[in-house]
Amino acid sequence: MEWHDEDSRLMLRYARGDAGAFASLYSRNKGPLYRYLLRYVRNAGAAADLFQEVWSRLIATRSRYEPRAKFATFLFHIAHNCAMDFFRRDANLQRSLHGGDVDAHLHAVEAPEEQRPDRVAEFAEQQSALLAAIAALPREQREAFLLHEETGLTIEEIARVTDVPVETAKSRLRYAVRKLKNTLVTATAAPSLPLRARTV
Amino acid sequence: MDSGDELNQFLQGDSPLSQAYRGEDAPLPPAALDREVLRGAGGGGKSPCLAPLAFAACALLSVALVAAVVLAPATRGTDAPRMTPVRLYSEATDARLPSDWLADIAALHRAGRHREAAEEMRRFHSVYPQYIVPSEE
Repeated sequence: MEWHDEDSRLMLRYARGDAGAFASLYSRNKGPLYRYLLRYVRNAGAAADLFQEVWSRLIATRSRYEPRAKFATFLFHIAHNCAMDFFRRDANLQRSLHGGDVDAHLHAVEAPEEQRPDRVAEFAEQQSALLAAIAALPREQREAFLLHEETGLTIEEIARVTDVPVETAKSRLRYAVRKLKNTLVTATAAPSLPLRARTV
Repeated sequence: MDSGDELNQFLQGDSPLSQAYRGEDAPLPPAALDREVLRGAGGGGKSPCLAPLAFAACALLSVALVAAVVLAPATRGTDAPRMTPVRLYSEATDARLPSDWLADIAALHRAGRHREAAEEMRRFHSVYPQYIVPSEE
């Protein structure tokens, strides 16, 4: 079955050589994609590189595009894969920096972000309480939350994008919502903790 | 409210959490990144109707270039005389052979135009100062 949302139609026109259609497609999706990458990898430079890489892959595969689902699932599946490659490269780099101490490295990777002030502090102090809390979520929960908020994807579509069972995607999103909701309640109860400050 | 209700409310899109997130800044990619991506897409946002025009312009330039290279030698040969400086009449006259020039002077005398003949003889002597005119011997 073919899917025909506006973005899919634009993508098909671009695949047939209409560069103007790409400009429209890009304009409609650049914001959500950029924010997803920026807040997922939490590094502006890496986010910019990944952003370019995602579009490069989309351009390279345009002739094979088939609208079998919402266009966002196609675009963000590419983005998810690019981000996974980034995290893998980053993990390899960390492993080499730790001199082959794999256990210590794995411990560092798996540790909750709240317990890693070196990674979070710089990011958090420039953000609102909510964005800081999103940055502090475990990676998978953070991704599920961002995918839903930036694209409106359903749990089934998030599962497809992230290559996990639907129940797994649902569980990740549930945990993320609960933690972030608690952050909101805390921030509202403590006026000295601003909901919004400088944001990334 | 249990976690299932929380999630359902969140998925509906109008939860306080969603509203708070949408109230945050919404950064966009830098303009330089936009340009790079659009250039990579091969369009830069141009309309597809410009493609035939670009092709036609390229074809026209190619034909003009080929014509310039192939036809240039022949054209140059044809145009060559135009590149020669224009000869002045007096230079042509001065280049006449002495016998021809003296015949012209004799004709002027026969026509009664002696002053003109005298002037021509003066110019003849300036051009051929060593030449001995038979009638003047």
